[in-house]
Amino acid sequence: MNEPMSENQHDFRARFDHWIEHLEHVLPGQASIRDFVHHNTLHGYAHLPFHEALAAARRELGIAGYWSAERFRAEHAAGRIADADINAVLDTVPDIDAVLAGAITRRQLWNAALRQDCGPLSVARLCWELDEGRDHRSDAGAALWVTCVELALGDVTELAMAEERFSVSGATSLRELIRQLGGEDILDAVRGELVRHLASHLDLGIAPWHNPARGEGFYAAWRRLSARDPAWVLGSQNEAQAEIAELPADPAEFIEAELRRIGFAETQWQAVLRRLALDLPGWSGMFLWRSQRPGYGHTEDVPVHIADYLAVRLLVERLAADAVARRLWGVPARLAELAAYFDQHPVELRLRLACHRGELPESLASRVQQMEAPGERPEESRAAWAELAHEAAASLDHELLRKARVAWPLYRLARQLGMDAAALHALGRDGIAALHAALAELDADRMGAVWLGAYERHYAEQVFTALAANHGRTTVSTSTSAQLVLCMDDREEGFRRHLEETDPRLETLGGAAHFGVFQNFYGVDDSEPTALCPVVPVVVRPAHAVHETLRDETELPSRQRRLFQRSRYRRIENEATRLAPLAGTLTSLLLAPKALAALLLRSFAPAILRDVPPPPATRLDLTAAENTPATPDSPRRGFTDDEQAERIFNFLANLGLTKNFAPLVAIIGHGSWSQNNPHLAAYDCGACAGRHSGANARLFAAMANRPEVRARLAARGIDIPTATWFLSAEHNTADDGMQWYDTEDIPPALATAFVTLAATARQAGARHAVERCRRLMSAPLDAPPEQAWRHVAGRRRDFAQPRPELGHVTNAAAFVGRRSMSRGAYFDRRAFLISYDPFNDEDGRILERLLLANGPVGAGISLEYYFSSVDNERFGCGTKTMHNIVGGLGVYAGGGGDLRTGLPWQMIEIHEPMRLLIVIEQTLESITAIYQRQPPLQELVGKGWVLLAAKDPVSGAIHRFDPARGWLSWQGEATLPTATDSLAWIAGRRDPLPPALLSRPLEAA
Amino acid sequence: MNPAMLNIFLSLLWLLPLFAALAIGARMLGGATGDAAEPGTARWSTFTAASGFLLLAAMDVMALLHGAPGRVEFGDWFASGDLSLPLAVLADARALAFATLVQLIGWIVLRFSRTYLHRETGYHRFFLGMNLFMAGMQLIVLAGDGALTFVGWELAGFSSWLLIGYDLPRPAATGNALFAFITNRIGDEGFILGLALAFLWLGSSDWLQLSQHNLDKVSARMLLFGFVIAAFAKSAQLPLSSWLPRALEGPTPSSAIFYGAIMVHAGIWLLIRLEPVFLRVPDIMVQVALFGAATALWATLANRSQGDVKTSLVFATLTQLGLMVLEIGLGLFDLAFVHMLLHATWRAWQFLLAPSYMARVDGPARESPWLDRLLARWPESRRWLYGASLQRVWLEPLTQTVVMDPVQTIGRDLAGFDQRVMRPLLGERGPAARLLSFVAGRCAALEERLTQLASSGRATQLLRAAAGWFLEIEALLERPRYLLLMIAATFMVIL
Repeated sequence: MNEPMSENQHDFRARFDHWIEHLEHVLPGQASIRDFVHHNTLHGYAHLPFHEALAAARRELGIAGYWSAERFRAEHAAGRIADADINAVLDTVPDIDAVLAGAITRRQLWNAALRQDCGPLSVARLCWELDEGRDHRSDAGAALWVTCVELALGDVTELAMAEERFSVSGATSLRELIRQLGGEDILDAVRGELVRHLASHLDLGIAPWHNPARGEGFYAAWRRLSARDPAWVLGSQNEAQAEIAELPADPAEFIEAELRRIGFAETQWQAVLRRLALDLPGWSGMFLWRSQRPGYGHTEDVPVHIADYLAVRLLVERLAADAVARRLWGVPARLAELAAYFDQHPVELRLRLACHRGELPESLASRVQQMEAPGERPEESRAAWAELAHEAAASLDHELLRKARVAWPLYRLARQLGMDAAALHALGRDGIAALHAALAELDADRMGAVWLGAYERHYAEQVFTALAANHGRTTVSTSTSAQLVLCMDDREEGFRRHLEETDPRLETLGGAAHFGVFQNFYGVDDSEPTALCPVVPVVVRPAHAVHETLRDETELPSRQRRLFQRSRYRRIENEATRLAPLAGTLTSLLLAPKALAALLLRSFAPAILRDVPPPPATRLDLTAAENTPATPDSPRRGFTDDEQAERIFNFLANLGLTKNFAPLVAIIGHGSWSQNNPHLAAYDCGACAGRHSGANARLFAAMANRPEVRARLAARGIDIPTATWFLSAEHNTADDGMQWYDTEDIPPALATAFVTLAATARQAGARHAVERCRRLMSAPLDAPPEQAWRHVAGRRRDFAQPRPELGHVTNAAAFVGRRSMSRGAYFDRRAFLISYDPFNDEDGRILERLLLANGPVGAGISLEYYFSSVDNERFGCGTKTMHNIVGGLGVYAGGGGDLRTGLPWQMIEIHEPMRLLIVIEQTLESITAIYQRQPPLQELVGKGWVLLAAKDPVSGAIHRFDPARGWLSWQGEATLPTATDSLAWIAGRRDPLPPALLSRPLEAA
Repeated sequence: MNPAMLNIFLSLLWLLPLFAALAIGARMLGGATGDAAEPGTARWSTFTAASGFLLLAAMDVMALLHGAPGRVEFGDWFASGDLSLPLAVLADARALAFATLVQLIGWIVLRFSRTYLHRETGYHRFFLGMNLFMAGMQLIVLAGDGALTFVGWELAGFSSWLLIGYDLPRPAATGNALFAFITNRIGDEGFILGLALAFLWLGSSDWLQLSQHNLDKVSARMLLFGFVIAAFAKSAQLPLSSWLPRALEGPTPSSAIFYGAIMVHAGIWLLIRLEPVFLRVPDIMVQVALFGAATALWATLANRSQGDVKTSLVFATLTQLGLMVLEIGLGLFDLAFVHMLLHATWRAWQFLLAPSYMARVDGPARESPWLDRLLARWPESRRWLYGASLQRVWLEPLTQTVVMDPVQTIGRDLAGFDQRVMRPLLGERGPAARLLSFVAGRCAALEERLTQLASSGRATQLLRAAAGWFLEIEALLERPRYLLLMIAATFMVIL
């Protein structure tokens, strides 16, 4: 913002490029909806400490990053935040126990202000309180209220002095200026004009026609079209056509000229452009995202440049502002001319501002809004304004009202503190000033930070208690029947718990479900590969391709024929009936009976539908024929034996699964199947870029079963017994079903063991369904497992269901350590579980690797849910019911408007927004060493975007990490209620449940 | 079937949903909130819809065995001298078939909404609107005369407005609801004109009498003209089309049943009902056919470049509606009827599945090869056509310039007249002025009170919403230009 000024065009361009780079920090970075990946919604602020970032976001984006105080108060009333939690957070505030006035300390004052709203009120609200409120007229309140008004006198003049000065010429946004002065939002007109063009330019295939000049970029294409668009003439903006026709060819050149023409101060230009982009964050963000991915979705011939977008956006906004400014004030929308106008009409300016700020009673406000341009009768207009001003003065400059505005917060505070009139008098003017000052310190950001801290502490205490109480309860089992490796996903916490409860001889482990085998996967029916690998913290591009091939190759021709027919049918069914006037008519009429049958089936007998594809009779083609180079640009088909062994070794070492292999080791990916759901990808595996991770599980198991790989592993110290077989499956998180792969290859000796395992998994899935049903408000509570299982399966098949499952909702913790940390304890599906053996990692390299790879994934999920929850309108995408897919890119509500990013309301409705608490089972020294050598972790942990704690692997002592004060020892009582199993603990409960100790998973079989 | 039972059956079809709407309204006033209140509302709706379907199914069977019951009268609304308003249903084969389809799709959509709208703030309001619509639609389909049809017509229009504006906090939603509401008032003017002429000349608006009576050509033409305007507004034919693409602001199921499947076909149905009258004035049929063809062409062109799925589906629907009107204009009433039934079914399905459109296509949309080749010959026309398509052939701004702006100018003149002549005449303290200001004052007080209430309970929100609508309607009525628009439209139609 403070770059040196220059007239030089080249210099402008350099600055402009820099500003565009900067936009990346403030615009939503969300991908197109098909590639939904959870990420920190405030990614651009990640370099700041968490609370400072939220304060900056409030300043710059106008978005509150915390739940409202009312919401926190409700949680406090519900017992989810205790007084002790608030006080523990306040303990960290310097001078918290200093006496402010009388005997009142800051702690008392803040406690009062946290529990009761003590902020100033708007005029309208205050009038209502004075007229209708009862408290200040009650026996207890009346005398106090009189005293408050009396004592408030001194502040009134101060308030008048503090009235900020409004400057037209210092504006950074025409929209904001018009909104404040004219009471109209020109963004409505801008959206109407712009969104159709934007959607058409970025379209990935909803519309068959696009701008014939699309290949020249958005600015050029728009210019060519709009220069001849009769809409301008019809909208009485006759001069616009000519103006557009004469625009310079270069968008940056136009932007510079236009900024000058409107008259924005050159020092403000960056702010102007940022504001411009942020007023339409969804489309701006998508334009930026696409500009960084040229050719996305086969649009190689569609250039996307953010400068194009900003130029059109700027012009359209100015044209809309022009129309309003001419109508209201008879001048064009240029700052100099507007400033000159208001210099001559100060009364109008004052009233219009007062109207915008809600300082006028409603009747006056509506009259102000109806005033139009003076036109040919300037005298009449002036008189009308003067009359309005006179009326406003009569109703507002009521002295009592002025005093009451200042007195109100004091009154509320005094009531909350239980003071009476005499006590308030005793404080004196100075004392009250001190109270006011301390109250002002607790602004919205600070209040949010205190509440959030208390909320997080309440949960953290429960977690620490549970971990401490659970320490040493699990003993190493010698009769493990099978080991199951699942995703670290918090949803699998519940599933794993139920697996262990169903059969205590099972051992479960967790890791990122890409399983370390990054691949370009060609499914048997796919013409294009799917990259199955993480895109957080950095986008990985696989260097290997894996093809799924039919076990029976003779089926291939008929399968391809069916595929071709199906594709052609889908095109006719969905596209022709939508677009073709004649062929479409015929098809839709012919297909109507089918549609009716389908509607009836889906409505009344959805169980008949087969939505999850049947297990394919295929195998993976995973081994490279020869060792040619493999790069992301030209991926090689298959992995070499060495590469396979390397990947298996690394992943098993990460898990800590290097010995004591059970006869069956199941590698289990996951995915979510549901109907009629635009946000499908948001329910899938975050470690595989929002895809199903079953194919990676399958690949891993297939590699690990190969003798060549096992021999290489044995040479490196991982000796897998020949009797051990690796299975693979995909866990459907929507209905808790399992799709087992390659069961044909299971050795006969293990066939019965597999059948038992599959049955156990089936049973565990049903029990898990019971637990999931308790948080789905339309599901039966405490249903028998089979009924709950049918219910969740029904949700998956229901085309009317906006909540097929609840995704990562309520995620709040991550445990990195052995399963013994958490086995036998109930964590309410709130914890990511990452397997790690602290005794197998002397130099901390494994832990370092795990934290670097999985920390950002967990933090991304946690923060996306956090922000989408605290302000679902701005950070999230609102309710699904109104969503409409646009351009194949995303959704908007209804028939137009801004592209909506973030999570839909149905996904976060019961979320409890708090930062992820990561607990690592390792010594403080080891963790500290890693922290000190890894800047990404310093940013994530040190800046407070996640919370960190450590549990000593031997003693079980717990330390919490405070970025400012270092490791703090946790001293709490390790007592916890116990239950036999999860179902006993959750019986009859729909609300969030604290941890408990379970006895069933620890029973020896 | 004995006539008394038939009477009861047929009237139940629209009384049941009306009753459900009343019950839901009562629940809302009784402060129904939270998850526990949902099943009650949903049960009222689905139960009445299912019962209606069973009744219809029974009647269909009877009709197949013994023929359709035809006109069934069950009393008079009003009778005095020559003018009588009998309460009658015309349950011929077409009406029974359409009513059955309406009921079935309505039932399916209500079941869909039960889950889809779960935990929405406007849950009960949504079902209230849907039930009003079901009652209105069955009236439109079954009513034996124009007057009763008009009651249904208004119920459907009102519920449509209610559900476009479902998402109250979003200005686009409420604004578009108002737009659709006002455009549809033009159609209502036409309907009233048709009704008035029918009463004037025939003493009745009974569909059967209308078809049997021997009107002279000019009269028949004028009478039809009114009903055609009404049908064109409801089925969004040119030039009254621009409201339909703006009506997509409500939840998916209501968009599906109103603008894809059922309500937009009400106009087609009205035209089909008037088949005998049409056949007597072929020149009007030619004009109707031309408008239908124009609408189909317009919608097909506009659909080429719409970037979102629901808008595209609405234009596809418009194409089909235009074709149906074309068929009617060509005298192919049976074809139009079958076309309507099949299309309603198909579009209900396609609209309800709009959220998963991406999952059901394999690649980007393509233009049909022959059209592509055709357009390739004139590259210049391609740019022009694209512009026309993207801007929907400028119908919205055209309506604004040709209709709204002149009307608003007249309105301003009238406001001046109001200011200079009427106000001194009535006086600031005249009874009318006092009544208006009293109502406005109460509204303002109510709204003020509601916004002050700290609690954000559902009942409060609903009341607040109600107060908001009240104010909106009031603001409209206060402005003479809308009244004037109505009057002007009536005159234009008569002349």
